[in-house]
Amino acid sequence: MNLKIADFFIATFTGGFVALVVFLFHPTNMALAMVQGGLIGMAIVLPLKLLLMPIFGAFEVAIPLGIIGMGVGMTAGMLSAIPDISGYTVIAWGDCAGLLVAIIIYDSNKHLTQS
Amino acid sequence: MSAKPYDSAAKYFDLFRAGDMRRWGQSQQALFKNLKGKVLYIGIGTGQEIVNFPPQLDITAVDLSYEMLRRSDKRVQNYDGKIKRCQMDAQTTAFADNSFDSILTVCVLCSVKHPVPCLQELKRVLKPEGELLMFEHVLSHNPIYALILKSMSHITEYLEGTYLDRDTVSNVEKAGFKIHSHQNIYLDIVKALIARH
Repeated sequence: MNLKIADFFIATFTGGFVALVVFLFHPTNMALAMVQGGLIGMAIVLPLKLLLMPIFGAFEVAIPLGIIGMGVGMTAGMLSAIPDISGYTVIAWGDCAGLLVAIIIYDSNKHLTQS
Repeated sequence: MSAKPYDSAAKYFDLFRAGDMRRWGQSQQALFKNLKGKVLYIGIGTGQEIVNFPPQLDITAVDLSYEMLRRSDKRVQNYDGKIKRCQMDAQTTAFADNSFDSILTVCVLCSVKHPVPCLQELKRVLKPEGELLMFEHVLSHNPIYALILKSMSHITEYLEGTYLDRDTVSNVEKAGFKIHSHQNIYLDIVKALIARH
């Protein structure tokens, strides 16, 4: 598979996975949920990085997953604290946010490597 | 500087770097085209980059770790050119002044303890008209990327003795080189650099 395409899949999957795990913790207080989500996200992406880096490249994995771990974790935590929100909504947010991070990094990389 | 961490990492080195090698092959080939004359290759490791070298070069390759050098046997034998290997510390090489036309480092300046003295040593053995070619990763100027690299640096330092927070471009200039060419390979983290006296 083209490694650049793989970057988008990895980011989307990681975003969704982080959101799912954060949601499963059933946070109730929004401020606490944000902190808890960020910490959970960072903890999840660490083993994922170690697993994926040898296959897909160190920095190409570490940078997006570093952002997704904390960013998606925090926002998914806050979303999960909203009463009656569906798990699918939180996961969809995680997927979208992961994909967005991949797109921003792709664009940033294109800009930096062409200048 | 101790070879022990690198001897231990040698076993897993090819696995750790497999993804990077898939990503960086073409960029390395483009940089390595500039190698000429007598070449000093610092930190050969297990010789993963040899496949990206142009043929018929006269290369002296050094590495601190005997285990790394031993694992480079097959790649050295398969190279269509001359590669002589020595176990040596890049910070205190045994070569005479002005010995080489080109010097190459690939992800080395992130591993040595004192990068500026190491670069000064490379300057000493490089001929005045020679070039220092570097394929290195450095600390990003973007604060978000930099934060991630700094936090990861503790882990990589433990796993393979690599620092992710080095300002190599500035270190090269501190050592007395002038940057001749500077290209970003991935974001502003992985760079291909050419420096001269």
